[in-house]
Amino acid sequence: MPEHFRIGPGIVHETVDGEVIAIDLDNGSYYSLAGSGPLVWELLAQGASETELREALEARFGGVETIAEDIAALIQQLRENGLVIEAEPAEGAVVVAPASGEGEAYEAPRFERYTDMKDYFLLDPIHEVDTAGWPRPAA
Amino acid sequence: MPANPAAAEATGPDLAAAYFDQLCERFEQAAAAVHGVDPVTNTKSRPAGAGTLDLGMAGLPVRLRYAGDALRANLLSPFEHLAAGFAGDPVLTISAFDTASSGIEPPTSLWEPIEAAPGTNPVVRLGSERACVLAAAGSRALTAAEPGAGEAVFHLPDASAIPASERAGPIREALQLLMAARGRLMTHAGAVGRDGRGVLLVGRGGSGKSTLALSCALAGMEIVGDDYVLLEPDSLTAHAMQSTAKLSEDSAERLAVPSAAIDPAGFAPTLEGPAKALVDIPTLASDTLKRQLEIRAIVAPTLRASRGGTIATADGLDENGPSMRPISAAEGLRAVAPSTIVQSGFGGGRSLAALADLVRRVPSYALDLSPDPAANAAAVDHLVAELG
Repeated sequence: MPEHFRIGPGIVHETVDGEVIAIDLDNGSYYSLAGSGPLVWELLAQGASETELREALEARFGGVETIAEDIAALIQQLRENGLVIEAEPAEGAVVVAPASGEGEAYEAPRFERYTDMKDYFLLDPIHEVDTAGWPRPAA
Repeated sequence: MPANPAAAEATGPDLAAAYFDQLCERFEQAAAAVHGVDPVTNTKSRPAGAGTLDLGMAGLPVRLRYAGDALRANLLSPFEHLAAGFAGDPVLTISAFDTASSGIEPPTSLWEPIEAAPGTNPVVRLGSERACVLAAAGSRALTAAEPGAGEAVFHLPDASAIPASERAGPIREALQLLMAARGRLMTHAGAVGRDGRGVLLVGRGGSGKSTLALSCALAGMEIVGDDYVLLEPDSLTAHAMQSTAKLSEDSAERLAVPSAAIDPAGFAPTLEGPAKALVDIPTLASDTLKRQLEIRAIVAPTLRASRGGTIATADGLDENGPSMRPISAAEGLRAVAPSTIVQSGFGGGRSLAALADLVRRVPSYALDLSPDPAANAAAVDHLVAELG
């Protein structure tokens, strides 16, 4: 199993009110991450390995048995949807767990996928042309 | 622009820029052919200013140049409400020509032709740091732009047979690219208000934005757009583009839109679903169309009440009357961002950041729509008054 990931190509994202909104520019699907999902996302984007993630969350929310399972499941969903891809360990990456809030309760990551923009892509697909295929004379 | 496009290729494979330069040259040839300007002596047989429409759009001096009066009448006239003289040079210039009026063809396309299935409009896109070319296979609209220089060229085969999708959003790609380079984000939203302050109406096609925006205009509220506005994120200002809105037959009936306000072309199939017609906003509701509004909130109209215990009619309207309820900033962002970003094509990350900033600064609401357009407009009017 890969240990390190980075945000996938074509993915743009913002965190608002503790929720991550990520949009896949290649197919119009968009995603919402809530609960502890944004924390996992932030640490993954920083270059944390799955092991480091688990340790960071366990240190922060100690005693929650499902953390490892939740992280693994979320990473699988993120990978299946191209939101994160496997990466080499980032050189010199330092993983810093966000400050722990006193008495903060653990919430399982919540992951939602929305595909209602699909029509725009089916109706107006964009065909990128690059210099490798150029010039190709029109028929 | 380089006199010889081949020179641009020799110094680097910036084919988008080379194509842009070639299309610029073709426009000049078309203008000369149509307006009688001799490209050698540059003397004009028509008064200076022929073939230009100067605008103040989104706070910028914008010059639309056209080769042939048919383009102005059939494509560019919805911008006439923004007509404004300005001293000095325009910041943005968009030059439009068509082959039927001028006899001038665009440069040979160097990409493979793409088949457009009925009802679709696939787009070929070629981008470089300097320039961008967009060729729509369905509407056959061709746009080439150099956003940094504030210049774009637009071509259609025939100005007397412009596809409905293009007339609904005239020169939209050119405006989007040039405005983005000047910090104005073309946002998929309507905007309505009172006394210069208002709300963005957001949601994907079919969510009821246009119907709600025009209901508000009919109630005497100010409107700057029903479907797209130019958003200046720093000042939270929504600016108007064209003076037309797009409405389905069902909505036109519901709003009792007089036939004088409906474009003579009538209702035409749209890419996203039901047949829609262009509605002229000033004819529908005089003096309501404004250049800009300061945005105080985001409102996402919803056709299906998501609350428990309410009665929704078959078309998703809430019989209990409209209901405005606060939603989270994240929900607001989900309502406004995806359709704006996926249609923008370029600069998705920056656009999302600007919209995220917007939802952090102003509150978001969902409006469960009722079957009564006037009641829906009143709910928006009430919110605008409350927000001050």
